[in-house]
Amino acid sequence: MNRQRALFKYLASRLAIAPLMIWLISSLVFVLLRIAPGDPVDAILGNRANEVAREALRAKLGLDLPLIKQYLIFILNLLNGDLGKSLTTQEPVSEIILRSLPASIELSFCALVIAILIGIIVGFQGISNRNKRTDLIGRVYGISTYAIPPFWAAMIVQLIFAVTLGWLPIGGRFPPTLTEPNITGFLLIDSILNRDLISLQGAIRHILLPASTLGILLSGIFSRSLRLNLEQQLDSPFVEAARSRGISKSRIIVNHALPNALLPILTITGLTIASLVGGALLIEVTFSWPGIALNLQEAINQRDYTVVQGIVVVISSLMVLISLTVDMIIAYVDPRVRY
Amino acid sequence: MDSRKNDPREIKTKVDSYYKKKSYSYLLKLLTIFILSITQLSCSPVKKQNRIIIASAGKIDSLDPAQASTLRALQLISALGDPLYRIDYEGNLIPKLAKEKPKVFNNGLTIDIPLREGVLFHDGTIFNAKAMEFSLKRFMKIGTQSYVISDRIKDIETPSSYLLRIHLTKPSSSINGLLTSINLTPISPTAYANHKDVFLNKKFIGTGPYKLISFQPEKQRIEPFDSYWEKSPQNEGIDYINFINSSSLFGAIKSGEVDLLLSNSVEDGHRLALNRMSQQGKLLEGEGPAMEIGYITFKTNSEPLNNKLIRQALSYSLNRKLITKKVSFGLREPLRSIVPPILNKDNKNLWPEYNPQIARELLQSSGYCSKKKLEIPLTFRSNVPADKLLALIWQEQIKRDLSDCMILELNGVESTTVYKQLSEGVYSAVILDWTGAYPDAEAYLSPLLSCEEIIKDKCLSGEAVISGSFWGSHEVQQGLNQSEKNQGFNRLQDLKEVEQYALKGAAYLPVWLVKPRAWAQLNISKPEFDGSGLLLLDRIKKQVE
Repeated sequence: MNRQRALFKYLASRLAIAPLMIWLISSLVFVLLRIAPGDPVDAILGNRANEVAREALRAKLGLDLPLIKQYLIFILNLLNGDLGKSLTTQEPVSEIILRSLPASIELSFCALVIAILIGIIVGFQGISNRNKRTDLIGRVYGISTYAIPPFWAAMIVQLIFAVTLGWLPIGGRFPPTLTEPNITGFLLIDSILNRDLISLQGAIRHILLPASTLGILLSGIFSRSLRLNLEQQLDSPFVEAARSRGISKSRIIVNHALPNALLPILTITGLTIASLVGGALLIEVTFSWPGIALNLQEAINQRDYTVVQGIVVVISSLMVLISLTVDMIIAYVDPRVRY
Repeated sequence: MDSRKNDPREIKTKVDSYYKKKSYSYLLKLLTIFILSITQLSCSPVKKQNRIIIASAGKIDSLDPAQASTLRALQLISALGDPLYRIDYEGNLIPKLAKEKPKVFNNGLTIDIPLREGVLFHDGTIFNAKAMEFSLKRFMKIGTQSYVISDRIKDIETPSSYLLRIHLTKPSSSINGLLTSINLTPISPTAYANHKDVFLNKKFIGTGPYKLISFQPEKQRIEPFDSYWEKSPQNEGIDYINFINSSSLFGAIKSGEVDLLLSNSVEDGHRLALNRMSQQGKLLEGEGPAMEIGYITFKTNSEPLNNKLIRQALSYSLNRKLITKKVSFGLREPLRSIVPPILNKDNKNLWPEYNPQIARELLQSSGYCSKKKLEIPLTFRSNVPADKLLALIWQEQIKRDLSDCMILELNGVESTTVYKQLSEGVYSAVILDWTGAYPDAEAYLSPLLSCEEIIKDKCLSGEAVISGSFWGSHEVQQGLNQSEKNQGFNRLQDLKEVEQYALKGAAYLPVWLVKPRAWAQLNISKPEFDGSGLLLLDRIKKQVE
């Protein structure tokens, strides 16, 4: 079969499966939330409300309906693009997501850029100095970033840079004394669009610690996989042939080995983006970063069913979309991939 | 030698090494510039304003007084609005939007509240009896905690523009305390015209010393209201920020990033460090009246805790001094009553002191200690660190003192689940805390003890079931009912008797008392609290350099 046709068929089948996956995930979340102990009515009224007040609120929130009816309403609303209203605040779930998703995406993007930069530098240094001290340090660094618990790393970073040195703010997303620009929800972009240098400074200062912490923790995956893949490529016959033709070491690495070594990195990047879209919970909690993971955690604590369902549906849809995009990019850049 | 000097390989190595060093030097320069730029950024004039930054734990989801229930939200609403009355530090009822104290007549079934004139809402409309009626009725209709007053209030009238008349379903002396509730803060009928039946979470139009400038769940800005009827705030505005965890809050005050920190959700270790910093003169600490009690509920309707002697033995087995010292380093006070002593001064040492010998004797008389060991499952809220420490220390203390008689089996459960399952009788013994809805002894006794249906000493429905004790007493119920009919001294006596009966029932074991605290930087005035434990935001002053 023609490669392009095969790819199209593969993507079409993935797209066809996507709604099924989202339906399965949302149904599972719906059921699990109802099975879990705890009650949104308790979370809202406290456990001291009398039965009349509880029943009134239950009816108001639609929680008195049979479970199957609640489920059907949820699915029907979902099909209409309506994620419902928060049980605790009555705020539309879509607004909560729109408010918090840009924060998570902004943090994830900055962290990913930092991770890739550090990962490439450390990986390159390692492969350029194979089995030397620099390589050893790079490998230890890579393993350490896997091993360090994110919350611990975040707290140490806070302690050093915010508390002891006082260089950067300890948490939050924007200086409390300034008014947040509100155009796209991405504060870095909004500050630039507003041409407001002080806001931009504030936004950068606030994102620097969480993004660097997350970026450094993620960089180990990139440095290690880049080093391993480059090592494999450098030992392959086509590199040997290039060497025998007298091509310089740097040209061999950059022009011959790197493009092949980057393919697995692309997959890792895709998977990392997909997982980061759901927010980096521990980093968001430690730095009080008002992202989607933090909202999800709070909604779970409050048993706010609609918010949890809405966030999970959006995150899973984005994950499906991102993994599909990554597959497409890989298929485009790597002619060896078959479907 | 010369030939080696001119060796092209040697030259190439030297050139490579030169460029390598040069690239490292560039990298170092770049890093220095980066660090310098960060340091310069940290010197940006962002904080050099005459505003005050206050940090507290958790988000604020709603500023609607009908919806707000968290301390942080109520704290902010208390600055944006005025209630009818406030309680001062001595427990006196101070009229705010009311002109004078409530007048009770018609055998305690009607209350007249004359209202203050010349008060404006933040939208410029006038505060009057109609506005108060609107606010109360709205709360009764949609308020998440409307059940607190709906049972007591039959109707509300406005005989004149500045007179509010409340008709009660039955005499209720505790209504005075209720009228201090921040949830009953009046709101502008004009501004809330489209929100009579729904919450307005992101706005607040009240009569308070501050008006809301901006609202986000994690950050709120308030500024003085120019047309405020009373003395203007002593600062130029407040930025109220909410961090999620205790470490961030602690770091924020320590690094000087915030001007003032509120103690809610600050862990005990951090409280101790802040307390020490204030003793060393690095911070100013203010504390409010102790209104939060920590206690243990015993489920009295099933084995083994249906045996009162065992419950009493457990009361004797708890070393409060040791526990408060270990858990909070002495910042929590040992508590031997279920009403905070500030509200009921004569009854402060009711529950027995630690005495393992008496505990042993009581357990022996119940058939334990010789061969049989009593096993008590003790549940703590896994998301409350202090509860976990309490449970662990009590367990160890019992191992040390009464290992031949009793074992505590610990079980951590997330708080939302605990609250849900409490009335289902899931927990034999569970660690909880409680802060009364208003500063009054009744707000502690009724929620723990009142019962609608009692058979022998078992409560079948009512607050005692919701509390998880299932303990009922006709004497307690009569005492509570009587207290609602009496005023002043007689009422207090009734409530003291109720607490004495609660001691005899031993269904609850008070453990400790928590004071609200706040820490401020040295250029900020010492934090002051009102009688209900709320920080007085309008009294905070900042010394501008």
